Amino acid sequence: MSIKLFRIDDRLIHGQVVVGWGQPLHVGFIVLVDDAVRASPVEQELYRMGVPPHIDVIFASLAEAVAQLPEWDADPRPGIVLAGDIATLAALTENCHRVTRINVGGIHARPGRSERLRFVFLSDAEVEQLQRLAARGVEVTAQDVPTARPVPLAEFT
Amino acid sequence: MKPPLGRTLLRLFTVQGSWNYERMQGVGVGVAEEPLLRDLAVSRSAAAYRAAVARAAHFFNAHPYLCGMAVGAAARAEHDGTPPDQVERLRTALCGPLGSLGDRLVWAGWLPLNSGLALVGVSLGLGWWTVVGFLALYNAGHVALRWWALRAGWARGMRVAEALRQPVLQRAAAVVGPGMALAMGAALPLAAGYLGGPFPGWARALVAGVAGVGLVLLRLPRLGVTGLRFGLGVVAMALVVGWAWR
Repeated sequence: MSIKLFRIDDRLIHGQVVVGWGQPLHVGFIVLVDDAVRASPVEQELYRMGVPPHIDVIFASLAEAVAQLPEWDADPRPGIVLAGDIATLAALTENCHRVTRINVGGIHARPGRSERLRFVFLSDAEVEQLQRLAARGVEVTAQDVPTARPVPLAEFT
Repeated sequence: MKPPLGRTLLRLFTVQGSWNYERMQGVGVGVAEEPLLRDLAVSRSAAAYRAAVARAAHFFNAHPYLCGMAVGAAARAEHDGTPPDQVERLRTALCGPLGSLGDRLVWAGWLPLNSGLALVGVSLGLGWWTVVGFLALYNAGHVALRWWALRAGWARGMRVAEALRQPVLQRAAAVVGPGMALAMGAALPLAAGYLGGPFPGWARALVAGVAGVGLVLLRLPRLGVTGLRFGLGVVAMALVVGWAWR
């Protein structure tokens, strides 16, 4: 397994991802799966700025990610796959049996969501999405940084 | 009309005041951005102004000294009639680079650089002038950074990445790190000499020995020793020894 972390984080690429997880996992690349960012060179440039030059950043649409995941998984360097919402990673998981663990790293407040953990706010529909993933055998835990305890899905939904 | 950048700068000093887990700096950023959005109520409508202020107060988190760049850029984008979802995506995209740049420039650069210089000043006997100098230099640096960030964001709007690419910024990041290391490297032996001066030779040797043990323990991550725990442990031990010795 070259992909060390499948993460849901609505802040996408930021310090917790690059430094918090990137350093201990010695990542060589980060894949950002997001259709809107894939279509926006301005946003891509900004996200790339937050990442040191020795880490590659790959911007992919969901369709591209489904097609290319096996290739990234065969990369000798450790990597992180990142998406901004549950639906994207759920779709990736459905189309690819390689995803066995999902890290909920940060989903923040929005109308309709309620606080589950300090860094996880979910609507009831989103809770259901996560539970469906878990029912399919995917291990879902919430953990913002590697030094924190991974909180199992049952404890925060 | 002249944009009220000065008023926004003043409000940016309070940006951390409403920090919370739900929106982090969001509310503070909204408060700071509001003066720049006020004329939307005239040029467009009161509803457009209110919607823009509400967007400005959504979740945001970056370095407190640099979030003015996001404030300026988002306000300019609102004036340019950028679609709301694009303004929100710009804000989200700015969190990462502004956070990491600020960490490198300030928390790992400008602040320890100035602290190192202040320690050198105190150790060399400059006394209270060091405190005055530290406050003047440190504050001049971060107020200038805040002002530059706000103006750069306001000038460029959605093209704000251009400001972050500026060579002067890259040079500053490249200079401030080694500068910090130099200042701290000079400060440590000088401060140790200054603090240890009044003690007899054997006590100074003992402190040096304890510091050496601490360094070794910190290098062994399996032990779970942190600088704070070790320091507190040593202080507790010194209190007990001092009390027993009396």
